[in-house]
Formats: sequence, structure tokens, C-alpha cells
Amino acid sequence: MSFSRYLVTSPRDLAGAAILLFVALVLPFCGLDDYYANVLVLILIYAGLASSWNLIGGVAGQFSLGHSAFFGIGAYTSTLLYNYAGISPWLGMLAGGVISTILAVAISYSVFRMRGVFFAMATLAVGETIRILLIYSRKFFDLPYSISINFTPGLSNMIFEERTTYALLAGGYLLACVAVTFVLVRSYAGFYLKAIRDNEDAADASGVPIRRYKLIAFLLSAFLTSIGGTLMAQYILYIEPGTVFSVELSVDLPLMAILGGIGTVVGPFIGAAILIPLREILVEQLGGTLSGAHLVIYGFLLIVIVIVLPHGLMGGLSSLREWVGRKRTSGGPARETAP
Amino acid sequence: MSLLDVRTVTKKFGGLVAVGEVDVRVEAGEIVGLIGPNGAGKTTLFNVIAGAMRPESGDVVFDGHSIVGLSAAAICRRGLARTFQIPQPFTTMTVAETIMTAAFLHGADVTASNREAHMVAERVGLGGREHVLTPTLTNAQKKRLEVGRALGTRPKLLLLDEVMAGLNHAEVSRMLDLIRRVRDEGVTILLVEHNMEAVMAISDRLIVLDAGRKIADGEPRAVVDDPAVIRAYLGDDEPEAVDA
Amino acid sequence: MLVFVQLVVSGVLLGGVYALAALGLNLIFGVAKVVNFAHGEFLMLGMYAGFWLMTTTGINPYFGAPLIAIVFFGVGLLFYAGLMRFTIYKPELTQVFATLGLGILLQNAALMAWSADYRTLQVMPAGWDSINVLGAFIPTNRLIAFAYSVAILAAVIVFLRTTFIGRAIEAVSQDLMSARLMGIDPNRVFLITFGLGIALTGVAGAVLVPSFYAFPSVGSFFVLASFVVVVLGGLGSVVGTIAGGLVLGLVETTVGYFAPDLKEATHFVLLIGLLTVRPHGLLGIKGAEKETLK
Repeated sequence: MSFSRYLVTSPRDLAGAAILLFVALVLPFCGLDDYYANVLVLILIYAGLASSWNLIGGVAGQFSLGHSAFFGIGAYTSTLLYNYAGISPWLGMLAGGVISTILAVAISYSVFRMRGVFFAMATLAVGETIRILLIYSRKFFDLPYSISINFTPGLSNMIFEERTTYALLAGGYLLACVAVTFVLVRSYAGFYLKAIRDNEDAADASGVPIRRYKLIAFLLSAFLTSIGGTLMAQYILYIEPGTVFSVELSVDLPLMAILGGIGTVVGPFIGAAILIPLREILVEQLGGTLSGAHLVIYGFLLIVIVIVLPHGLMGGLSSLREWVGRKRTSGGPARETAP
Repeated sequence: MSLLDVRTVTKKFGGLVAVGEVDVRVEAGEIVGLIGPNGAGKTTLFNVIAGAMRPESGDVVFDGHSIVGLSAAAICRRGLARTFQIPQPFTTMTVAETIMTAAFLHGADVTASNREAHMVAERVGLGGREHVLTPTLTNAQKKRLEVGRALGTRPKLLLLDEVMAGLNHAEVSRMLDLIRRVRDEGVTILLVEHNMEAVMAISDRLIVLDAGRKIADGEPRAVVDDPAVIRAYLGDDEPEAVDA
Repeated sequence: MLVFVQLVVSGVLLGGVYALAALGLNLIFGVAKVVNFAHGEFLMLGMYAGFWLMTTTGINPYFGAPLIAIVFFGVGLLFYAGLMRFTIYKPELTQVFATLGLGILLQNAALMAWSADYRTLQVMPAGWDSINVLGAFIPTNRLIAFAYSVAILAAVIVFLRTTFIGRAIEAVSQDLMSARLMGIDPNRVFLITFGLGIALTGVAGAVLVPSFYAFPSVGSFFVLASFVVVVLGGLGSVVGTIAGGLVLGLVETTVGYFAPDLKEATHFVLLIGLLTVRPHGLLGIKGAEKETLK
């Protein structure tokens, strides 16, 4: 374990950074088949989304089941502003982020009073409420149920001809999310959030401003998830309440984070990198989304992962390292690297 | 001006008066022991001072400012730190990381906090164990870590909640040494204790509570001989005649 | 005035339905401190069970309920022994996502097996679909479901208070450590509780299928309503489930009258509002919302 002044760092970080930079900035240029390029873009966007979820769900330990609200707000804000007001999605993206952040602040007063499953229940309710409100609002605003974006490529439109460009954009998004996570986890704030997760009363007695740090994680998470929503909308060029405000998404993001390693910096990326291709394969092999077969497997996977590997692959790796380390040294269980 | 001035504090639970109009003063540099029979209200008073409970009436003035109604974290930031009777470790952290968390009160510099955590660990007798995960510590070590965590915040006043509970004779002795060292470094101490031998050995002054009221306040020798105190601990019964 | 009476009658009937649907959830939560996110799917299975029972054997679910109860008791035992047993002492997210995963699995398995078609039963002989009492319109199926509600809730309360097992369950729900010290085996209590909870849920579904359509995702509708009932009435309180159900039924019916599209939203708004203000519900155990099983 070593430190630059404000962050806990470790030599292994360089390896992780190298892999991420490669995937985000080099892989898109490797002349991938269109099919694989599509999978890459999806992996990158979902990895960013899962990392964003991880900020509040993993690092701060408050598992939200309502992140579809922020995703959907991002998608709808930029799309509506672009389609009806001609505003560039780059600005629309920021606007969506701001609205999501405001929503997060508004509900934080309520939801932070609850712990564990009740926080999950309440956020689930928030996600569904936003979806219903949107559908209801169609009465007043004359909105169609589903909205398409015309394919007119251009940088200011955030629409691109080449999948490579989308991949770079998504890659940049992922790198930003991971960077934010890294700084949060490895700085003093990471210690605070861990303390809050481990023992809130002791954290309180140690001078940790609990509300404030939970809120910071929550706001960052809401903002970044919203950005991802805009990116997805600009990539798929089609949005409807059922897909962007879906409970499936709210469950997908935590699932990816858990598989890879909840609370870790690269866990969500690993989870996305495994689950997205897996999902594509399942849908291919077992017939379209209508039959439900791939979701049966999905549900089963969720159960197995959460029972067998609650700390995900990164957690498994970390336990392995500790076990090996203990075999080498004597004395009580110890940890020689950054969490 | 006293460092801690507890003014006529009353705390009720429904109809029960747990603490009734109690005044307590602690001067800087003192070690004050708070004792009393079971149910006397010591823990309640402790919790009121530490900000875990709000009194119905009265005021708690620390370092010249009222702290009633502030959160535990805010009180800690003002220089009043507390330990927990049953150690409350951060279950996924090491000894060093625990103390670092507390030390961040004074700056976000991770390198500096780590250095400070190592020094504090040394002071509380956990030197060499900085990388041990807290759940695997022994009870005595956890209690010392509690003190270490509180010290990490660089408090002016340290509130110790039955810090001797569960310690054997040798461990008590070590803890007493630690408390003395902490006072020598300039920290004022208020401790709630059941262990009479320990609290007598270490306190400059004793305060005795009984049924929510303060019944004695002074030098340990004098307090222990006070008939009111003896009655509180042993009860009012007439000693029975040996041959009936 | 007539409108008011109708609203009250409809609200109470609906409330009884919600209370019945939520009972199993509340029991399991109160005792094992587990929030079963797959609750809606078990309800859905109960509905299909009632449907298939009648279409294959001709026994209507009102009479076949005891049979369904037995079958679902077994399902509940399996649920605990095969899955929940492994989550009780793990981090909380395990419990949440394991039940969530099971819910997704069951919902889609139902989709694969029975397709998305809406199913319902015609149980009442023609002309008996509804009765008119004092000018208020009462669907008979709802009335029977309500009667079942009342009977089952009463039976459960009696069971918990008088039988040994019932009191063991109550003991574990109030203070696990003390119950253990008295020699009660928590594992066995959890096993029975899950059996009982799922049996109640299965019966609720079966009794509801003549009044509601059965389809694979019907669970998601009921699960939110059940959460609201549980939180309203009190986490872990059986009597509270009744109160919670009635309140929800009345509120939803009233809102439904003035703004039909917002009916669904009432569930969510109530849930969030309640969890904010009184996380332990109107009658429940204070602090239950901060408890986890250690």
C-alpha cells in the first residue's frame, strides 16, 4: 500500500488502468465486425452505468433498485429537447444530469432514513412512480408513447455513422465513471463511506458527516447514470417508457456490479463485460425476449451469484490473495493492499 | 471556565426520571470518574453529554459552547470524543484504517493520516498490529482500539464508557497506564465505570449518581467514606443481629 | 351519499383482498426478517393453481383452497430449505437479490409455460355476478374473497396466540436470541413460517383468480400493494395487515374515482411517504426497519 498525498494507490492500479484504457480507446479501432462492435458499445455504456450505480449501491452501501429513474430522465430530457427544441444532446445531456441530481436531492431526505431492504423498496417505488408519472403526463403534453430520433449524423447531434465513434464516446464515459469511483474509493471519502457501511453509529461517533457523504455518492451516481441514459438514447435512437424506465434495468445494474465485485473500482466493468455478451448469446440461442427463457436463466444466475459470490469476482480474487498471503506470513489475518 | 459544564440536565423516559437536574463540571486536565449503583443514570448522562440523547431540560456546555442538539459527529468535531462500552469496530477495516478514518477529521491527506494512525496505534499498545483486521482482535485489544479511534480525532475531552468492562486484572492495569499517558498528553478524561478499584486508582475526582441524582462530588477518599454513597450502594437495611 | 357508500363498500372489499394478499409477506418478514421480493410471483402461482384446478378437475378454488394451501405449504418449505436457508446469515443484499432473482425466474418460467394470455374463471352461476345491497354494487366474487380474508386472518391470529408452534413463531419474531435461549430452534421455526407464509399466499392467489385476471406479470402489481399494506399496517403485525389493507383499499378506491390513471401511483406515493414518516408502520414494531438478522 502506498499513497500519493490524497489517494491510496497500489501498483496493481496501473494494470487495471491499462486494461481499461485499452478497452475504451484502442479496442474500438481494432477493426471489429459490426456485431462485435455493437456488443462493445453496449458493454462500455452498461459498464459505465453499473459503475455509476456502484457509487451509491456498492461504495456507499445503499442498494438502490430505482436507478432506472435517472437513466430514463437522462434519455427523455436530451431526446425531448433535441426533437422538439433542436437543442444539442450534449447540452440536453447536462440538463438531464441536473434534473436527475435534483430528484436525488429531493428523495434523499426520505430514503436515507431507511436502511437495507427498505431503502431498496423505496427506491424501487420511486423508479416505478416516475415511469407512471411519465405515462400519465402524456395526457397533458400530447407525447407519443415511443419516440424516435432521426438518424442525422453529426458531432453536435451526438449521432454517428461509425460504431467506432460511439465506442469511443462510450469508452470516454466509462473512463470518467471509473475515475470518479477511483477517487471516491481511494480518498478519505472512501474511508468515510466504508465506515458508514460497516458501522454507522461508530462512524457518527468518529466525526463522519454521514448524511453529507451518502448524499455526495448519491448525487454523483444520479448524475452519471443520467449521462448514460442520454448516450444510450443517442445510440439506439429510440426510447419508450417500458425500456428506459424498466425495472429490468434497475436490477441489471446492481447485478453487474455484484458479479464483478460490489464496491470495487473495476468490478462493475467486469460484470458488464461478462453479462452483456452472455445476454446476447442467451437471446440468440433461446429465442427472442418474448419467450422469457433467457430471463429464467438470468434470474437463476442472479440467485447463484448472490449466494455463492456475494463479493463478486473481485472479492473472490481478493480472498484468494489474502489466503495465499496468510499462508506465507504468521500472525492474525492481515491485509497488505488497498481495499 | 470549565471545559465541560453540565447544567441542571434532566432526562426522562416517559414518566421515569433517569437523570434529574444533575450538575457536573470537568476542568481541563482532570480525570473525573462517574460512578453509581446500577440504574443510577450514569449511562444516560453519558449519552446525553455525548449527544446520543437529548435532555428534557438543562444544558451541556463544552468549551464554552452549548452542544445540546448537535449530532454525534458535530460534537466529535468540536473536540469531544467517546468510546463505546461494547466495542464497535469497522468490520472490514484494519486497525490503522480505523484510526485513519477518525484522523481525517483534521485533513484529507491520506499519507499524514496513515502516519498519525501508526503513532496512535503505538500509543494505545497496538503497535505492530496496524494491519490486523478489527474483528479478529481480542476484546482487550478492541477496547484499546476504541480509545485509539477516539484519540485519532485529537479530542480535548475523552468520554470513556465502561472501558474496563470485561478486562482481567493485567489488562485493567495496562488500560490505567494508557489513560494516564493520555492525560499526560493533555487530554481531559471523564470515565463511567463499575470497576471501583480501577476508578479509585485513576480519578482525581469522583462524581456519584443514585436514582438519577448527584449525591457526591469530590476527592475519591472522601466520596467513598460518604454515608450517602455507602447507603446508595448497600441499601438502607439495618444490619441484622447475629443471634436472632 | 350513494357514491360515498359505494366507495366505502368497494374500498373495504378491496382492502380485504389486499390484506389477504399481503399476509404471507408480513408473516415471513415479521419472523425471519426477510423481505420476499418474489412475493408477487408466489401470488401469481396461486392464481394459476386456482385456475388449473378448476379447468382440470372442475373444483372451484373457493372449495379447493385447502388443497392449494397444502400444496403451497410444501412449496414454502422447499423455498426455505432450497434457497432462503442460505441467505439468512449472509449480507443483506443476498436476501434482496436472491428473492428478486427468484421472482424473475418464476415470472418468466410462467411466461414460457403458460404464455402471456390473461386467464380468469367464471365461478359464479350466471346472474349471480353481483348483488345489490342498500344501493351499493357488490361483485360477489370480491365478497367471497373478502369473507375468506376475514376467516383466514382470524384463523392465523388464533393460531399464533394459542398453539405452541404459533407462539414459538411469535417468540422468534420478537426476540430471536431469547427464543433460542429457551430452546426454540430458529431453523425449524423459519421452515414452518415460510411454509405457512407461502401457503397463505397461494390460497390468496387462488381465491382471487375469479376476481382478477391471472397472467405471468400480475405479481408485480400485487407486490407493491403488499409492500404498502405491510408498511402501513406494521412490519410484523398481523392485525396491522388488516388495518393496512383497509386503508390502502379505501385510498385507492377513492383516488380511482377521481383520477383513474393515478390509481397505480397511489401505491408508490403511499409507500415512500410512509417509509419516510413512520418506517415501522402504524402498528408495527418500532425499529424493525433498522433490524437485520445477525
